[in-house]
Amino acid sequence: MGRLLLIVTALLFLCLFLVLPLLAVFAQALAKGFAAYFIAISQPMAWAAVKLTLLVAAIAVPLNLIFGVAAAWAVAKFDFRGKSALITLIDLPFAVSPVIAGMIFILVFGTHGWFGGFLKAHHIRVVFAVPGIVLATIFVTFPFIARELIPVMQAQGKDDEETALSLGATGWQTFWRVTLPNIRWGLLYGVLLCNARAMGEFGAVSVVSGHIRGVTNTMPLHVEILYNEYNYSAAFAVASLLALLALLTLAGKSILEWRQPELRHAARRPRDRTRRANP
Amino acid sequence: MSIALRGVTKQFGEYAAVENINLDVATGALMALLGPSGSGKTTLLRIIGGLETPDEGQVLFNGQDATLWPIGDRKVGFVFQQYALFRHMTVFENVAFGLKVKRRRERPTAAAIRKKVQDLLALVQLSWAHDRFPAQLSGGQRQRVALARAMAIDPQVLLLDEPFGALDSQVRHELRRWLRRLHDELHFTSIIVTHDQQEAIEVADTVVVLNRGRIEQVGIPGEIYDLPKSAFVHRFLGQVNELPVLLRDGRAYVGPIDISAAAEVQTGSANNIALIRPHEIEIGPAASGWPATVVAVRVIGPIVRLDLCAAGQPVHEPLEAEIGRERFEAERFTIGQKVGLRFRRWQVYPDAA
Repeated sequence: MGRLLLIVTALLFLCLFLVLPLLAVFAQALAKGFAAYFIAISQPMAWAAVKLTLLVAAIAVPLNLIFGVAAAWAVAKFDFRGKSALITLIDLPFAVSPVIAGMIFILVFGTHGWFGGFLKAHHIRVVFAVPGIVLATIFVTFPFIARELIPVMQAQGKDDEETALSLGATGWQTFWRVTLPNIRWGLLYGVLLCNARAMGEFGAVSVVSGHIRGVTNTMPLHVEILYNEYNYSAAFAVASLLALLALLTLAGKSILEWRQPELRHAARRPRDRTRRANP
Repeated sequence: MSIALRGVTKQFGEYAAVENINLDVATGALMALLGPSGSGKTTLLRIIGGLETPDEGQVLFNGQDATLWPIGDRKVGFVFQQYALFRHMTVFENVAFGLKVKRRRERPTAAAIRKKVQDLLALVQLSWAHDRFPAQLSGGQRQRVALARAMAIDPQVLLLDEPFGALDSQVRHELRRWLRRLHDELHFTSIIVTHDQQEAIEVADTVVVLNRGRIEQVGIPGEIYDLPKSAFVHRFLGQVNELPVLLRDGRAYVGPIDISAAAEVQTGSANNIALIRPHEIEIGPAASGWPATVVAVRVIGPIVRLDLCAAGQPVHEPLEAEIGRERFEAERFTIGQKVGLRFRRWQVYPDAA
């Protein structure tokens, strides 16, 4: 009885807070029919927002991929001073509000910021332009891949890499042929999460973008503008695209998880180093 | 290849893992580094293999200073306790790894690689498994693959870090004998790290006993067992009974037994202990020797262990004696029986602990 109650409560909660809003997005988007929906999402401004979002993700995700692998590698395979400080730093974007992250970039790169004069003199625009949006997105999304990889790499230890080196492999060969195949599923998972957040980020991007339509508006920003103009069906149409991207990401993640159990099983090695009693 | 360590020291933070180690390993020797966890045996192995750099001292390969040689240039084959097989590769690919990563100029042709891997798999009796993945093999089979993989690069030295530690005692026993045969056939220099004295004695030509980063004793297995130089080695190499040595009127006693005849007794110093192995206790009729009572009897295949409560000894610390099955069948000791004890051998050490 108690179990049934728990399950029903959990399901109701899920419906109310996750399924219902998702359905509402699509219902609202299609409220004026398919024709209106397609007109709304084929507006040049909407397309510009989609393209910018994809561009930002296409820059931020690969950079964070490199950073995440490098950071996880360093943390998991080496002992050095300041290691725990590095781990804390990696978590910083999780702890800091995205709005503050955005304001940090205004402070550093804005007209009156530390590098403002230098950037203006060289006609480089960072804030209220695409570079600023990319920077803010990288900042907000950089923990995802590193955080996903650190436990995976730590669990695998150093034996495989040390064996590869002793067999004459170079560091580079060891990484490509031994380390990367060992972490590929964790890595893909991290990339998906990072990508989802990169496309959906609002707070930090909102601060640095300047909301210039067709130029510095990403999809989440564009949705908000349309919504503030009482253009509900258009707002929800663009929102539905964003939701669709998120759903695709989740679907990809589920496929990975569905594939992973057998791989995890195959990958598991007895890690307990308990010494057996002497016979 | 001969290996020599000269004054090798390695610290991890405040903790000295190994301290001033001097050791010579002759070409073709099979040496065991034996010690409890934390004794520095694995650190020493990793220094020889190039996985760690010593803070002080030198590692010599054939007399040449190899202390700073990169690991890939040392021609050492490593075998780890947890096998460290590349689990996304088949058995064949695992063994071929060391050949495939060679620089193009030195790399054998694909056909030569295939031939060599097949030969190695035949050597470790796993020819049938070459398309399997490591997850599909048993522990003993995996360790044999790891050994074949290490041998693929024609190592001058084979370094084995607790290679059989994760295996069942039956498999472990078989693999030990197999490793010994392999070593005798192929004549490479091998160093095996183990915490299992039986393994060290069974497999090695030379046993090095390590304790807290220092060498306690180096010797052939029989010598280490029969003539331990310290109480630590004596204790570590097998079961022992520890009894305080009492001094009375210039003579030394263990219980009522006079042990003054032993040359090594330093009657001058107060705190000495006598170490006596279970099979060195002689059990006789009640009237002879140290009076004792049998409190437990365990028949373990060919041997029988008896717990004996000797007069004047704490009841919760019975002595352990070991006799042959035939002797037991003849005498039929039972729990509660009164017996008399004598010592066939004993060794006396200053009581440091």
